[in-house]
This record gives sequence, C-alpha cells and structure tokens, in this order.
Amino acid sequence: MSADNHGTGTVSALLARTARQAPGWLALLFLASAASIGTALLAPAVLAATVDSLLGHTDATAKLTLLAALLGVGVLAAAGTEIAEGYCTAAATCWLRHRLVGHLLALGVTGPRRFAAGDLASRAVGVAPQLGRAAPLLVQSAMNLVLSLGALALLWSIDWRLVVTLALVAPVGLALLAMFARDASLLVGRYQESQSLISTRLVDALVGIRTIRAAGTVERETERVLAPLPELAEAGQSLWRGYGGLAWRTALVGPLTTVAVLAIAGQGLVTGRTSSGQFLAAAGYAPMALGLLNQVPQLLSFVRLRVSARRLVEVFSVPAPRVGTRVLPPGPGELRMQGVTVRAQDAVLLDDLDLVVPAGQTVAVVGRFGAGKTTLAEVAGRLVDPDEGQVLLDGVALDEVAPASLRREVAYAFERPALLGTTVADSIGYGCEDAAPQLIEQAAAVAQAGGFIKRLPAGFRTPLPGLPLSGGEAQRLGLARAFVRRSRLLVLDDATSSLDSVTEAQLSAALTGTSGGQTRIIVAHRVNTAARADLVAWLEDGRVRLLAPHRHLWRDPAYRALFETPLDQR
Amino acid sequence: MSGGRQVIAYGWRQLGSELVLQRRALPGLLGCAFLAALPALLSGRLVATAVDHGFLAGRSDVGMAWLSGYAMAILVAAIGARQVPIRLGLVVEPLRDRLVRRVVHAALRQAVAGHPDRDAGTVARLTKQVETVRDSTAGLLMGLQQVVFTVAAAIVGLFWLAPLVAVLVLAPVVLTLLLLGRLLVMLVDRQQEVLVADEQVAASVSGLAATVRDVVACGGQDRAGAEIGADIDRQARATRAITRAGALRSAVGSTGGRLPLLVILLAGPWLIRSGQLSVGGMLGAITYITTSLQPALRSAVQSVGGSSTLLSVTLHRLATTSASPVAQRPAPAGPPIESFDLTADRLSFAYGTHAEPIVSDLELTVRHGEHLTLVGSSGVGKSTLASLLVGLTPPQQGTVSIGGVPLAEIGEARLRRMVTLIPQESYVFTGTLRENLTYLSPGATEAELDKAVDAVGLTPLVDRLNGYDAMVGPGLTAGERQLISLVRAWLSPAEIVVLDEATCHLHPAAEARAEHAFRERPGTLIVIAHRMSSALRADRILLMDGSRPVLGSHQELLLRSRQYAELIGHWHDVTEEESKCGTSS
Repeated sequence: MSADNHGTGTVSALLARTARQAPGWLALLFLASAASIGTALLAPAVLAATVDSLLGHTDATAKLTLLAALLGVGVLAAAGTEIAEGYCTAAATCWLRHRLVGHLLALGVTGPRRFAAGDLASRAVGVAPQLGRAAPLLVQSAMNLVLSLGALALLWSIDWRLVVTLALVAPVGLALLAMFARDASLLVGRYQESQSLISTRLVDALVGIRTIRAAGTVERETERVLAPLPELAEAGQSLWRGYGGLAWRTALVGPLTTVAVLAIAGQGLVTGRTSSGQFLAAAGYAPMALGLLNQVPQLLSFVRLRVSARRLVEVFSVPAPRVGTRVLPPGPGELRMQGVTVRAQDAVLLDDLDLVVPAGQTVAVVGRFGAGKTTLAEVAGRLVDPDEGQVLLDGVALDEVAPASLRREVAYAFERPALLGTTVADSIGYGCEDAAPQLIEQAAAVAQAGGFIKRLPAGFRTPLPGLPLSGGEAQRLGLARAFVRRSRLLVLDDATSSLDSVTEAQLSAALTGTSGGQTRIIVAHRVNTAARADLVAWLEDGRVRLLAPHRHLWRDPAYRALFETPLDQR
Repeated sequence: MSGGRQVIAYGWRQLGSELVLQRRALPGLLGCAFLAALPALLSGRLVATAVDHGFLAGRSDVGMAWLSGYAMAILVAAIGARQVPIRLGLVVEPLRDRLVRRVVHAALRQAVAGHPDRDAGTVARLTKQVETVRDSTAGLLMGLQQVVFTVAAAIVGLFWLAPLVAVLVLAPVVLTLLLLGRLLVMLVDRQQEVLVADEQVAASVSGLAATVRDVVACGGQDRAGAEIGADIDRQARATRAITRAGALRSAVGSTGGRLPLLVILLAGPWLIRSGQLSVGGMLGAITYITTSLQPALRSAVQSVGGSSTLLSVTLHRLATTSASPVAQRPAPAGPPIESFDLTADRLSFAYGTHAEPIVSDLELTVRHGEHLTLVGSSGVGKSTLASLLVGLTPPQQGTVSIGGVPLAEIGEARLRRMVTLIPQESYVFTGTLRENLTYLSPGATEAELDKAVDAVGLTPLVDRLNGYDAMVGPGLTAGERQLISLVRAWLSPAEIVVLDEATCHLHPAAEARAEHAFRERPGTLIVIAHRMSSALRADRILLMDGSRPVLGSHQELLLRSRQYAELIGHWHDVTEEESKCGTSS
C-alpha cells in the first residue's frame, strides 16, 4: 500500500498513472485519431482536384477512387477513435475506482471520518470518470490542434489572403464566445440552488414520514415540498435565455467566417488565381481552422481535470496503516496499552494512557462524554493506530499482527452496528464464512436474538437488505456477530445501549455462562454493567483516572455522579 | 428490465403526450427553427449563382452581392437560433415541473405506504433522473429540429438547384436514417445497463463508507472488496458495450453524410456533359452537402441517438420507480360514531407466514378517557401493535374498531383527525415554530398555543426563540424536537393519542411532566413505555410477552406476572436515566 501511495502522491503522478492503464488502447487511439485527422485534412484537397478534373473534362477516376478511399478510411478511423477513447476511459475509471475502494478498506474507520459517504460516492461515480478521460482528452486536443494548424497551412497554400481574413474575423468570434462563459456559471448556480431546496424538503419529509402518515397529511406535505418549484422554473427559463445567447453567437461566428473566406476565394476565381475546386476546398478548411477557437475551452477543461485529480489525491494521500505479518501466538489474552496517545484535528482524545487488562477479566470503561471511551475501544483492537505509544496483546504489538490473525482473535460489537451480508445468518457469520449454522444459532441465542429472529418472515434466512430492525434488534445481531468468533479479546462499545434492562441482564447472564476465559472490554453507561465487571477503568480527559472494582469506586461521589445524569448527549 | 423496443416506444409515447400538453409553445419553436435553417436552404443556390453569374463571369461585384445575400441569411438565422433555446425552455421547463411534481408525489406516497427504501439516496437519484429527462428532451428536440429542418432544407435547396442531383442524394440519406432507427434499440438496451451499473457503483461506495468500520472489525475486507469490485467491473463492461454501439452509430451517420458526395462526383461527368449541372451548380451542390447536410446529420446522430436513448431509458426508469401507489379512495362518510372506545377483536398479526406472531387473537378494549401503557422488552412488537390500533397497519385477522365501527369503515381523513400517533423520530420541518405547533390544528389561537406549550413544558424553548414566529428546523436538540411534536399532538382535535416512545429523548422529569399534561387532556392516552416509570402513571398496563399479552393495573400485574415484577425490579435496581431510544422500525 505505502509504495502505491508514493506513486500517487501528486496530481501529476496520479494523472500519469491513470493514463497508463490501457497502453494498447491508448496506442490505437493515437493511431486512429492521427488517421482521422489526416483524412480530414486531405479530403478537401482531393475533392478540389477531383472537381477540377471533372470541370476540365479530364479523367477523374483515379482521384475519385482516392477520395472514396479517404472518406472510407476516415469513417473507420473515426469509429476506431471512438472505441479506443471509450475503452481507455473505461479501463482508467475502473482502475481508479478499484484503488479508491481498496484504499478505503485499508483506511478503515479513518476514511469516513475524513470524507462523508455521499462525498466518497461522488468521487467514485463523478470524479473518477472525469479523470479516466484524461488521456483521451489530451490526445483529442493535441489532434484538434494539429487539425486546425494543418487546415491553416493548407488555406495558406491556396491563398495567403484567406488566412489573413480568418485572422481578422477570429478575435471577434473569440470575444463573443467569452462573453457567454462568464454569465453561464452564475445561472447554473441559481438553478442548482432551487433544485437542492426541493430535495432538502423532500428528504426532511421522508425522515418524518411516520408522523406524516399518522397525521394523514401527505397531500399538504407534497405541496410544502413543491413550494420552491416556481423559483426553479424561473431559474430554468433564464438558463435557456443564456443558452440562446450562446446559440446566436455560434450561429453567427462560424458561417459568417466561411462566407468571408468564400468572398476572398471568389476574388481568386475572378483573377484565375484560384481554381473552382480550390474555392470548394477553402470552404472546407475554414471551419477546421476556426476550430482553434475551441482550444480555449479545452484548456479550461484541463484545469478542471487537475481539480478533479486533486479530489482523488486527497483520499489517496491519507496514509493507510501498515500491514503486520505475524500470526498471534497462543496466549491467555492480556491486553497492555503503553503511553497511548491519539489526536484528532484539534483535540487529544487519549493522552499518554497506560492500561493493563488482565487475561480473562472483564473491564468496564466508564467516563463522561468525550472522556475517550470509544477511542480506547478502537485502539484496543487496532481499528485505529495510536499516534504515540503501543498496544500489545499477549506481548505482541498489534501493528505487527497479520490482519486475518488479529480479526480472529479480537471481536467487536458496536452501539450502531452496520449489518453486512445477504441474510440474517450471513450477517452474523460475516467475515467467518466457515462458521457452522449451529454456531451461528448459538451465538444468536447468547445475544438474546433467537426470539425475534424466529418472528422474522424466513427466520435466519430472511434477506437483510430492507429488513426493518429496531435499534435493539440490530444491536443484538451485532453482538451475535461478535460472539460467533470465540475470540481471545471481546470489545463491546456501548453495544447493549438500546436493550431494555431485562434483556440486557439476560444477555449478561448468558455471556457469563460462556466466558471460557475471554478477556472483555465493555464501554458502558449502565451502573449494573460496571458492577458486574471485574474492574472498572474510569476515564477522564483521555487518561485512566482510576482502575479498580466498582464497589471501591462507588464510595467516590464523583464516580457516582457519572451515573446520575443522562450520559448520552451525543 | 424491459427490452429496448418497448422502452423506446414508451419514451416516444411519453414525449408525444408531453408535447401535446405544450402544443401552444410548439408553433413558435417551429418558426424559429425554420429561420435558423435558412442558410441551409439557401447556401448552395446562392454560392452557385455567385460563381456562375459573378466570379466565373468575371463580375466580382455580382458575386459579392450574392454572397452578401448569404451573409444576410446567416444574420436572420442567428435571430432564429437565439430564440430556439428560449422556446425550447417553454416546452421543457413545464415538462420538468410536471416530473418533479410526479416524483415528489410518488416518493411521499410510497413512503407512506411503507416502502423502506425511500431515503436520501433515492431523492438524489430521482433528482438526477428528472434533470436527465429535461436535458435529453431538449437535446432530442434540438436534434429533431436539425434533422427535420436542416436536412430537409438542404434537400429542398438541392431540388431547387438541380432536381436530379437531389434524387441521387436523397436515397443514401433516407437509408442512413432508417439504419439509425434500427440501431436505436440496441443503444437503449446498452444505456439501460450503464445506468443501472452506475447506480450500483454509487450505492456500493457510499454503503462502504457507512459500513467500513464493521467490515474491518469482522476482517471482511477481502469479501467487501470483491463484492464492490464486481460492481465496478460490471460498470466497465457496460461502458465498453455502449462505446461499441455508439461507434457503430457514428460510423453509419458519417457514411450517410459522405455517400451523397461520392454519388454526385461519380455522376458528375455525365451531369455536366448533359447540361444538368453548371460549374457553379456543381460547387453549390457540394456546398449543400458539406456545409449543411453533413454537419446536420452528424449532430442529429449525436443528439437523436444519444438523447433519445437516454430520454427513453430515464423516462422508463422514472416511471417504474415513481409509480404512485393507488390513491386512497375517499371512503364514504361512514356511520356516525357514538363513543370513542377503542376495541380490538381477535386481532392477529405476524410479519411472515413462518414468523412467530406479534399478537394473536388479542382482545382489548380501551375506554374513552382511559390511560393505557404498553410495556415489554425491545423487539417484542409494541410499535406494531400501536400501528394496528390506530389503523396504520391493517390487521391480518380480526378487527379494530372505534365506538363499534371498524377502522376501515371510518374513512381515512376522519380517522386521522380522531387518532394521533406521535412516533419516536419527531418531524420538525423548516418553517415557523407556530406552523410546526399548529400542524394538526391549523385554527389554534394564541391562547390555546400558550396553554399547550405551558402544559407540555416547551415554554423555555419558546422564550429562547422569542416567540412563535421564529424559524425552526435543523439545529434543535432531539429533546426539543420531541417536545414540539408533543405540543402538536396535545393541541390536535384527536380523541385518542398514542405516544410511541415519543418522550425517549426527554429527561425523566420532563417526561413525567409531558405525560401528566396528556393525562389531564380529555381523551384516551396510549403510551408505549420507554421507561418503566411510565407504567406507574397508567390506569392499566398491557405487558407484551411473545404472543400472550397480560393486561391489568400495576398492582395486579405485580401479582400475576413474574416478568412484570422482573421489569419493575430491574427498574428499581438500576438508575432510570440510562435507557435510551432505540431506532424503532
């Protein structure tokens, strides 16, 4: 991973690597577009010669055959260009997306903390193809430049006056077109604003849909969501007026230039300087030469491309944690944190923390909001690496352990678990694909999930996507997923918060029965969870204030105060 | 997924019926498009005359005069070209308005009908699809305008210049257009695959962001990577397939533009010898082909091929994703209701044929004015029972009735006025506090508002915001949002109020105050308990435990139900504040 990161550290490096993804197709693109440009440049000249032969009543068969061949090759070359372009883009886009997903998986929890989910999706769906088009775009604009310059040269060879005429007309056209570009972005911005206003209202209403349903007010809500529609329509109309401005300018610039060129070529006809065929050829070359004007927007699109590339480099340049290679040797499950410090952008989450969780014991982690409980849980099983200090499981530093070995030995359950996989059973066995069905059912029973799973339409085989689960139900599936692993260390981060006290007590009892020497770290807010643990780690400001059994700590009013106010202010 | 042919037919039919709705804007659009095609009609003829009578006759001034005629035509066309997008807007914007209406309408109705997948992602997708329809309709109309006007103008011009040449040119052009029509079917199929694959990639990546912690914690990186990788590869395959189809389409289009040129040149010696075509005529005919016909065909291929495919596919997908569920028929006024006693009779409900039932043969009567609390462990089906009791979920067996009239016969609007259910997740929309509070009682006076706010305990918020006309929306705490919902329900005309863990974000004292306010309010109160303390305040308690619920007062249940005693016991053991809201289904 780290070598990869090095290679894509800068915008240019990423652009270069992206461009190299389909070298064969890139070569074909180059050849095909060169052929396409070549035939486009030659065709008017051959057409001119053919017409002159025809008008001069000489045999035009050879020239006509050449013209037909040129036009045929032109068609094939254009099709080849289009295919090579598409394949290059597809290969590069695909490569970028695989890299993005791979990097996100390597980053783990760090990724979504830096970038929102929708933002990542738009980088994968929107930005990656833009960047994937980099190489074709470069070839295309280089070829367009060759085409325009070639057409200018050929015009010059017919009559230098034609080029002078173009040079006089072109700046006017350029000025006209530039005028439009400035207004357009403003108009587009206004349109998108009204659009997002409607979307936001619709999302709000969907979040509150149970209320709307219970109140029977869906008609009223529809009107409320649609209230900004007239504004949107108005913004849309002014956008079309803007396009009208662009349309008349384009309708004027190109054709008028051609007429001007024809007028000069006509003078040549009068004096005999120009042949009839050349008169035609001039009309053909003028628009090609005028294509130079379009090179300006092309340059702008390269600027945009670099901006896009930066959005992906931002993700790729977040360093992935190093990958360990050791297999964790057998051991009782003692966890040791030494001088662990974790920092966020502007805060210290854990501050030089030392903690030893004795093998086979349960340690409850308590503390106020912001004391560092979740961070401690994340560091304990290497969901994040500490900035300083180290974490050892049975004497082995976690960052030296191979991921597969580590995930077998450390299991996690969370307050809001994301359930993965296709069915309820699959979600419990996710990541342990070899787990036997009995093992899964057993884990579900320990997690007190057996009852509600039975009430689902197809029990353990009920498909997961779209299955409505309450917070408590999801937590119990998350717990079952952790129990299935029979790991050396179990970390529960507020993983029973949505369970009522009876269910929680039943779960606790079941868990005690299956202990088997497992070491446990339980982040908890309930006083009885702390009471049941062997030891309580009381966190304050990123450090362990005290590590002692609950009954010792209970004498301290400050400790008791932890349980007297609602703790969850998140 | 439907086949390309049906999708195209659907798309064109839809477009046709939309255009009929905008028919008054069409003549203007057609007129402007005609103006814009003026140079295509005149170019060859003017060039031919300029050459024959001017430049080749040695009369430069005559040639220049004809060419200025050409320039004049271009100026007039620019006026038309400016108007075309504006007129197009008059057709396309109302179409977009109608689509947005339809999408919002359907999204809300589908959500109300209980579709679980109506979320923010869906909204984004629908927005994008509506915009695609808008853009591609415009693109298609532009393309059609070019085919119809520019191609036709060029051919009419050719007829005018040399009828025989026009006939020679017409054949390859017609052939090309026919071939392109056939290719369209393939393109539509490919386009559909690309759209589906794109959406899948977007969903997978944003899904990964939401689940990566759990994937890593389970050691499932390889599996997740392979699953998303398969989506990415499928998208790449779909893109390559549409690239091939697109290249074929372009090849056909450009061949169609070049064949007429070769045809004229082949026939050239004979045409000139037989006097059918002068020198100028030859140049004029070629001008028609190279400056009008070829570019028009090229852009027509791009826009008719591209836009119409996209339009058909998107319209089709919009229609399938935003089909409105059948509108609720306005039920007849229903029989008069004498009392507001709520009765469940042999009520049964399960989430699947093999699933354990949530309730089975439940018999329950809640008298008007009574206060009932539902308790039970999480996931036992309290919310489902509440939904059944207020008629939001139809029972599978048995009936629920108010005053002896089954809910189904009462009529939706009347029922919703009679019963109010406040769920856990409160709905506070962007608007004034007053609008939010009087949501269910639009006519409420200031005095009534004050009374409700005071009773439920919202006064501190009203004071902080400086009155009822402050804008509210995001930025309120969960507890404040719940209080707003509670005041709303308190003010409502409903005779039966159901609070479905509607106080879970409040402090115990605030919760007690709110529940007290509802006890004092005339009418029936059903509370789904979040804390056991709610049970102590109730007249009767329904303990849900599997399919055998137990009903009684607090004292009775303590004696009769060991589970209830346990629940209460644990509640005594444990401090109250710890319990939290689960996200309810």
